[in-house]
Amino acid sequence: MGFQLARSDNKSEFVSNLNKETANHIGAQKLSKVFLGGGGENVLALSDVNLVIEEGTFVSLIGPSGCGKSTLLRILGGLDTPSTGQVFGCSDVITSSGRPLKSAFLFQEYGLFPWLSAIDNVAFGLKMAKVPKAERIERSRAWLSRVGLSGFEKTYPEQLSGGMRQRLSLARAFVTEPDVVFMDEPLGAVDPQTRLLLQEDLIRLWEETRKTVLLVTHSLDEALLLGDRVVVMTARPGRIKLDLKVDLPRPRNVAITSEVGFSELRTMLWDNLRDEVEQSLEFS
Amino acid sequence: MATTPMAAVDENGQSETGAVVAEAISKLRRKERVRRRMDLVLSVGTPIVLIILWQVSADAHFIDPRIFTPPTQIIRAARQLISKGILQKDIGFTLARLLVGYVIGVISGVIVGLILGLVRPLRSAFSPLFAALYAVPQIALLPLLLVIFGIGETPKILTVVAVTFFVLEINALAAVRNFDPRLIESGKAFGAHKFKLFRHVILPGSLPSIFTGLRVSIALGLVVITATEFVASNNGLGFLVWNSWQLFQPDQMYVGLVTIALVGVILTGIIVLIERLSLPWLVRRKR
Repeated sequence: MGFQLARSDNKSEFVSNLNKETANHIGAQKLSKVFLGGGGENVLALSDVNLVIEEGTFVSLIGPSGCGKSTLLRILGGLDTPSTGQVFGCSDVITSSGRPLKSAFLFQEYGLFPWLSAIDNVAFGLKMAKVPKAERIERSRAWLSRVGLSGFEKTYPEQLSGGMRQRLSLARAFVTEPDVVFMDEPLGAVDPQTRLLLQEDLIRLWEETRKTVLLVTHSLDEALLLGDRVVVMTARPGRIKLDLKVDLPRPRNVAITSEVGFSELRTMLWDNLRDEVEQSLEFS
Repeated sequence: MATTPMAAVDENGQSETGAVVAEAISKLRRKERVRRRMDLVLSVGTPIVLIILWQVSADAHFIDPRIFTPPTQIIRAARQLISKGILQKDIGFTLARLLVGYVIGVISGVIVGLILGLVRPLRSAFSPLFAALYAVPQIALLPLLLVIFGIGETPKILTVVAVTFFVLEINALAAVRNFDPRLIESGKAFGAHKFKLFRHVILPGSLPSIFTGLRVSIALGLVVITATEFVASNNGLGFLVWNSWQLFQPDQMYVGLVTIALVGVILTGIIVLIERLSLPWLVRRKR
């Protein structure tokens, strides 16, 4: 498989353009990512992706399986590097108080450490950041109670239900008081009813804190319900196909999914996504 | 409309359904208790019955009591060996060799295995070599070790070191290589890099596999030290068994065999206990 990647090194230009806006935005420009495939074949996962996520915005990222949306999230979050193009991630943004942006991640429940109790899982990020023990415990305890897990401090993740584990992940992500939260299909592993409850938790939490969020999801409803913007990606190699502004009033709750305005947005999203999903099926 | 019959309430204010459920639960509990007691009776009773059978058939000369020494005579032989201080001394020698070799093998095996798991060039260089060496039965190294070190404690201990080292090296290496990449990613995402990632994610996550190695290698170590003492020692439990054969004293041989078995059971039990205490999260998972 042959393809060419444009190589350009004008990161500083991109960075200064972003900085002109003065706010703490993160983003990517002309970003591509290549993986070495198993059979000596290269896989172009992302191609020429341009995306800016403004401070305090909730951006949902949606696309067919294998379109590279998780890869994009991981690159923006600093867990992976781009093959070409520029990334303006958390470590590149210096806030007015002179420190880089703090990021946190919300994975599916499997990201929890099975050998740590609930409270130690929550406190993990704080411990790595060398927060003193007493403060770490206090903040973790507060977050556990905030997600409804008071009394489960000493419980190990495997002893919790799927929904409880997800709440634990939520506490773990938010306890570090991050500026940006990266959520990679966080609710993919829970049953649909629990999912509805957790979506409401997420809405409430976000509307209280207004962090910058990038959410990767497979669910159209979830993308619309939570996001200020929904970004649709094409089948592999992933590009941005549509960047939809969601003008639904806040505070939101799950009930709005049955309203007319919501259905119209969902229909429009699906019209855009449908071709891409079909194409991704042909590939595989 | 659903027509659920209301539960009748008796004079104590308790609903009838509640009482029925409580009775059903206690019935289940009773059944479970009976089953557990049965398990216990069978697991303890079977060996006792077999020992009695052995005693009876040896007394009745169904089996040759000169070869299959009856249990009462084995106990007598054990008493004699203990009163002469022989058995204690042999246990001491075997345990000392085993534990010194085990500790050296465990420490070196875990360190080498973890390093090979983490450092790719070293893994490429040594992992195939170690895998090939592991395929050689460690006891086969004994003659070579005797040539190099002469008859003394060193070659005996080194056979135990060899077997322990390889088991721990392979288990620690496998633990790191098969580590759940999602947990590593999760560690990195929450700020654990390099040594912190090793200390707080990879090491605790590798402990279950390392403990498996600890359990396997203590048993193998006992096998190897016994075999070594057969041929290259004039004390220790292996020597006791071997010497009893040469002097045709099967009663003493049985004492040696039973003692070796007990040492194995006790040492394994101690390691399982340490495992339970240090990996409470894993123990709870198994329940």
